[in-house]
Amino acid sequence: MRIIATMTFLGVLCTTTCSFGNAARSACVSNNFSAMRSFQQQTDASQKDTSTKDTADVGIKPIKKSITAGLESKGNGLDPKKLAIFPAITLQQYLKGESAGLYVQEPSGEPATNQNMFIHGTSQPLLSPRELFQSQPLVILDGVPLTAEHPYAFDIQQYKFERAGTGTNPLSIVNMDNIASIEVLKDVNAVAIYGPKAANGAIVLTTKSATTRRSITFDSYVGMATKSPVTTINGQFENNFRKQFYNKYTGNGSYSDNDVYPLYLSDSLNNAFYGPANWNDLYYKNALVYSANASIAGGTDKANFRFSVGTATNDGVADNTGADRYNTRFLVNMKPISWLTFSAMVNGTRVQRQRNRNVRDRLSQVNYIPDLSSPLPPNKDWYGRYLNEFDKGFDDNKTNSVQGFIKLGLNFKNFNWITTGGVDYNEGYRDIFFARTLMQTTNYASNYYGYNQRSFIDNIASYDWNLDDANKFNFQAGASLQFDEYKYEYAYGYKGSNDFIKLNLLEPDPNKSNYLSPTVFNQNLVYKFLDKTANNLISFNARATYQFKEKYTISAMVRADGSSNQQPTSRWFYSPLVSAAWDIKKDLLENDDTFSTLNLRASAGRLGRYEHFDNYAQGPQYTAFIGFTGNLITPGYNGIATLTRPYTLGSIGYNLDWAYQDQVNLGLDLSFLKGRISASIDGYIKEDKNMLLGVPSGAEYGYSSVIKNGMAIRNSGVDLNISASILPAGQTVTWNAAFNINYNRNELTALPGGLKELSINDRLFKVGEAVDRYWVLKNDGIYNTDDEVPSVGGQKLSYNGIDLKAGDPRWRDLNNDNVIDAKDRVMTGHALPVFAGGFNNDFSYKKWTLSLNFYYNLNRDLVNQEMANRFDFVNREGLNNINSVREITYWEKRGDYGKYPLYNPWSPVAPYQVNQDIFVENASFIKLRTLSLGYDLTEIMKKKSASMKRFYVYGSVNNVFTLTKYTGQDPELADYTGYDTGYGLQIPRTYLLGVKMDF
Amino acid sequence: MKKITLMSLVFLGLLAGGCKKILDKDSTRVVNEENYWNTLEDARAGIMGVYGLTRAALADNNRYWIYGDVRMGNFDSPIRQDLKAVIANNLTANYPVVEELSNWTRFYAIVNAANLFLERIHEVHDNDARYTDNNMTVDVAQVRFLRAFAYFNLVRIWGDVPFITSSRDGVFENQPKKDGRAILEWIQSEMVSAAADLPYNYSSNDIQQPGQYYNESSSRWNGALVRKLSAFSILAHVAAWQGKYTDVSVYTKFVLDNYSRGGNGYTNTDELCARNGLFYDKKNNQILGFGFIWGHQDASFTGVVEALTLAEPVVNKALPDIFVPKDSILSIFAERNDARFNIDTTGTTHSNRYFTNFQGRYPIFSKIKVMQAGSTDPSFRIFSSTLIVTRLEDITLLRAEALAVLGERTGAIDALNVIRQLRYNVDSKGEATEGNTYQPYSEARSGELIDAIFRERQKELMGEGQHWYDLVRYHKIKQKNPKFLELINNGGIYWPISRSILAQNPQLTQNSYWK
Repeated sequence: MRIIATMTFLGVLCTTTCSFGNAARSACVSNNFSAMRSFQQQTDASQKDTSTKDTADVGIKPIKKSITAGLESKGNGLDPKKLAIFPAITLQQYLKGESAGLYVQEPSGEPATNQNMFIHGTSQPLLSPRELFQSQPLVILDGVPLTAEHPYAFDIQQYKFERAGTGTNPLSIVNMDNIASIEVLKDVNAVAIYGPKAANGAIVLTTKSATTRRSITFDSYVGMATKSPVTTINGQFENNFRKQFYNKYTGNGSYSDNDVYPLYLSDSLNNAFYGPANWNDLYYKNALVYSANASIAGGTDKANFRFSVGTATNDGVADNTGADRYNTRFLVNMKPISWLTFSAMVNGTRVQRQRNRNVRDRLSQVNYIPDLSSPLPPNKDWYGRYLNEFDKGFDDNKTNSVQGFIKLGLNFKNFNWITTGGVDYNEGYRDIFFARTLMQTTNYASNYYGYNQRSFIDNIASYDWNLDDANKFNFQAGASLQFDEYKYEYAYGYKGSNDFIKLNLLEPDPNKSNYLSPTVFNQNLVYKFLDKTANNLISFNARATYQFKEKYTISAMVRADGSSNQQPTSRWFYSPLVSAAWDIKKDLLENDDTFSTLNLRASAGRLGRYEHFDNYAQGPQYTAFIGFTGNLITPGYNGIATLTRPYTLGSIGYNLDWAYQDQVNLGLDLSFLKGRISASIDGYIKEDKNMLLGVPSGAEYGYSSVIKNGMAIRNSGVDLNISASILPAGQTVTWNAAFNINYNRNELTALPGGLKELSINDRLFKVGEAVDRYWVLKNDGIYNTDDEVPSVGGQKLSYNGIDLKAGDPRWRDLNNDNVIDAKDRVMTGHALPVFAGGFNNDFSYKKWTLSLNFYYNLNRDLVNQEMANRFDFVNREGLNNINSVREITYWEKRGDYGKYPLYNPWSPVAPYQVNQDIFVENASFIKLRTLSLGYDLTEIMKKKSASMKRFYVYGSVNNVFTLTKYTGQDPELADYTGYDTGYGLQIPRTYLLGVKMDF
Repeated sequence: MKKITLMSLVFLGLLAGGCKKILDKDSTRVVNEENYWNTLEDARAGIMGVYGLTRAALADNNRYWIYGDVRMGNFDSPIRQDLKAVIANNLTANYPVVEELSNWTRFYAIVNAANLFLERIHEVHDNDARYTDNNMTVDVAQVRFLRAFAYFNLVRIWGDVPFITSSRDGVFENQPKKDGRAILEWIQSEMVSAAADLPYNYSSNDIQQPGQYYNESSSRWNGALVRKLSAFSILAHVAAWQGKYTDVSVYTKFVLDNYSRGGNGYTNTDELCARNGLFYDKKNNQILGFGFIWGHQDASFTGVVEALTLAEPVVNKALPDIFVPKDSILSIFAERNDARFNIDTTGTTHSNRYFTNFQGRYPIFSKIKVMQAGSTDPSFRIFSSTLIVTRLEDITLLRAEALAVLGERTGAIDALNVIRQLRYNVDSKGEATEGNTYQPYSEARSGELIDAIFRERQKELMGEGQHWYDLVRYHKIKQKNPKFLELINNGGIYWPISRSILAQNPQLTQNSYWK
């Protein structure tokens, strides 16, 4: 009966929250995961949080056992109250630098765009969005494991800078004012319960629960993001820059008879290019950030609720970017009988994003390259005209996101049962119209609708058995079902009949005969795409924990995970986990005053790695792809769909198996000086094994690669969290300092088929080396004359068979074979930092608090591709492809021009190719991320209103300064590959004032 | 309590029972072995796949024209350094396109797909009664031809290459190179047997292909598929590449004797250069062509010759990737009364058939200009021209070449004059002559016969991916240019093998000239 009741309620929930039809509805009623939260401990930080105290006895708590607490690191928890001060719009921004071992990349200051997280290094060589996706941690919101934008849509995209769709960060739904606790789970002991999707770590967010007493909160901030000054340049600068090469390498200002000097630089009277470079007045502006959230909670111990609403605006300083978020959340608990609790939650968010107006991103969306011989002029009037044309169209990006769950908790003396059914659903809409004036009289329209959906049912049972006071046991069993589904519908068209009809590419009325046929656009120039991928996961797990005299704890777990994305012969993966803890303080140092805590932990376990793509499970297969370089969307041959082997994607055979992770952890939590200094140290060795890799081979059978199991990557390192009350509470001035650092060593330990090294896309993957290294030529300067080029037996030193000449780089011939080639390239640098972390200081004086948060990356390098492109203008401009695009920021002076020799840019050896060590730079940095000053008005306000529990006002400055040796833009602004293309928009310095009120 | 325990057991049991069903999920994005090679439609998807891969291989990075027209050819490039390197035969230069073009994987994809088709097609025949014996015979002949054609490209471009005639699914052992001459013999015999089974046309009640081919009418298949004459035409090229000119004369004779049965005819100059002319859509006169059919939404921004050649004022792109310099045009089209390009004594050009903007710095090679559906709108550079591998004029000139080499001078001149009659029939202003009179070949006007034939090929087939191979044959016949002969003798007429291919297959060695 109860199950039926649950189902019925789910049905109601689905009809009210899911607007996506039958498939989704059935998925809603299907499914798994969240009672797995059960093992979570509350963190030190959140225990201090007074706002949660009221709620201690309502709602369904995760099954939390004190006997497992010692197994978990004390360094996992973060304090949402502190994080909420930061004007972030995404979860990643909140977490950056806050947790040892969690590394956050923010490749652009464009609000609500995608950011990447890596817990304990990368488990994949980051070659494409596919690997990036499979290396991200799992985020769990109140037991709902969140989905992300599945990268399968990239398959139809010629240019893979941004995934088709809104490109909005799915984690921009997190409103930190609603969050009661955050845990960043890194070790296998903590993540194993979340299953194979959590193999890259897990971030567990718990929202504030309902209360039995009426409580109201209001939090708000308002502030301004300020632009950083830039140096602009005009055609004169560029002309002078280029003249150097012409003067040095040409006799008459022309390299060959048919060479041509760019028109836009030829005419120094042309005001568009030679006039004042004041485009930045239109491009950069100070921008608004604000946020307001309110919540109300109340009820009785039989039934209670929490309701919250919030809005946030986060505008960027560059290119009129910005994001607006509206969210609402409702949580209700009911306890009709003493042993039964019922909870339901719905969290709804809408994010609207104003995207950048990059030419590159626009053209890669349009999938057409107009003539690019002249860039946008640096003059405000001309640039303004361009923006004006832009404004004739639109680019709307909307994301709706819903998370919901129904939980049923049974609670007897020693027995607990929780059943959870829930869903995470997010849909994106992108509607575009680019007017014909923007692209050589061809206009463009596009409609995108896509969703990512995960629904689940999850059951967990727990039984406590205390043999006597000394011997305690806990047994748990869980089962879960997860259904993931991703779908999009996408159409775009060129050459609409005019610039006025902008919407509805396809006839939307199903009753009309031309339903889904193109309306205003030429039907041969309208392209339609429909794609869907789905996969299911079934998991079972059982765990037993034994504790002796609260001194020794040992726990063992087994899991069985079955995935529809694995081949039928190897659907199931079985994995064990053993963990133990020894409370040394209790055992040996009971009477010792030095330590107040001393707890040693260890765990070792295995966990399957979830495969998110459904094609590997199919074995040898056929695809409809029949495209070629530059045209991936050819529909067929002679109007007939084709089926051929996946030649460009790689051959897939039988016997592909699960990839898995083996992990060993050893940790120590200690505190001494009466708890004034506490620390947790966690060492880890995490090895992801048997992973799939497309090994370049089988070319004579038509394949670009053969997909094989067998790649292994090991990340080993240490997380260290230290917090110290340097000036402890009770004094006039207090000072708490918290320092976190992660050291991570990444190493490729195996390649499929016992290969020792492999080069893919200009990167080398070599067993024994890290996968995030660059592979470059060593550059020792320039050959000023032909005679300087060394020769052996009359044969000049050559580059891949081309003799080097005057004006070519002096590349080092490392193997002394008189030929510069790939064998002379060396591995250098790291795209991901070896050391990263943060350093937070909180001072207080009377009612004042002052905080300083630092964030740093050490031993990290970037390739300054932007400068390489600048110098390689001959090849960049010659091709008229997506790489020839120059943005308006082309007219911003970045980088150090004096650093690079003046090579002959026309040389066939490509002297300014990016993969050489002159372009690799140290990109270590330290940032003062937040400087905030707050004042606690609670007592003053209490006099006016007795119900006031907290009234706190603060002001802060964010992104105050950055110390770095890097010569390009902000060293954070590079994507996961580590190549700084210059496309990152400024991460602004923000000034804000805020208030936090609890009644 | 008991009830709860029982209930949970039942629930878990239900879950376990449903597991298999939940986990057996066919992808909606790919087709697995179980669901393929069963029906007539599978056979159709398979054979069209081999065609599609052939088109993809030739169009990829515009390689058909870069191999055939750009390399040491008529064209120059204003600003593309990579194409300049190819023009200079500098094929190890460090440019992505040059590296891509030395990679042969796409041609072997055709071979693999063809091998797979030939190995598996009997399954369709066994499973689906609709798939008739004749359908299978014709399909197999086409696929064998396409496989041989892929090898013909491989051998012409790289010389000695690995030779693989089975799909060897799952285990891809590396293969060494095989003598290109032996492969050419095999190609020839494959094409001969394919030709025997191929019809003149499809869905046209040809005795060798009765009824509707795949339930589509003849208009669907016009020019889109390999026909008997396609096979004989390519056979002529295969034989010519081997220097077997007797065979060339036999094959070309077959084509010229039977072209009306294939619905073919000669194409006049206006039709040749019209936006919606020979190169637009699918036509029987494209004896072997791979279409980018507008009506099928195949039109493409790249992989078509216009992507390289067109620019202002024909389309709005500032500079063409490749163009024929003015001096070259004047020296190539030195003869008067040529409808393709003519210039009068005052230096005025009167037609834009082959070249537009001749007076500009970069004359635009605009012979082929199928913009959108043959429109004049310059604003959107999407093209739908068919990649024509061979046509009747090509075969006629090839016959002239063969007869000239074999010493049958009269026959050679006759064949050459067939083409001259089509082209040299205008006055000095480019207007058609009265009564379609033309200037026949004379040694005084056009030079030595063999030179005239090759010069005629250069003009007629410009931008059709033939020039480089013509150049090689020409120098083999003439034996005069020591520099070019050195290329021929040292393997410099072949492309280097891509470094990434060499890295993955240790049984291969770089082609000798490029070591």
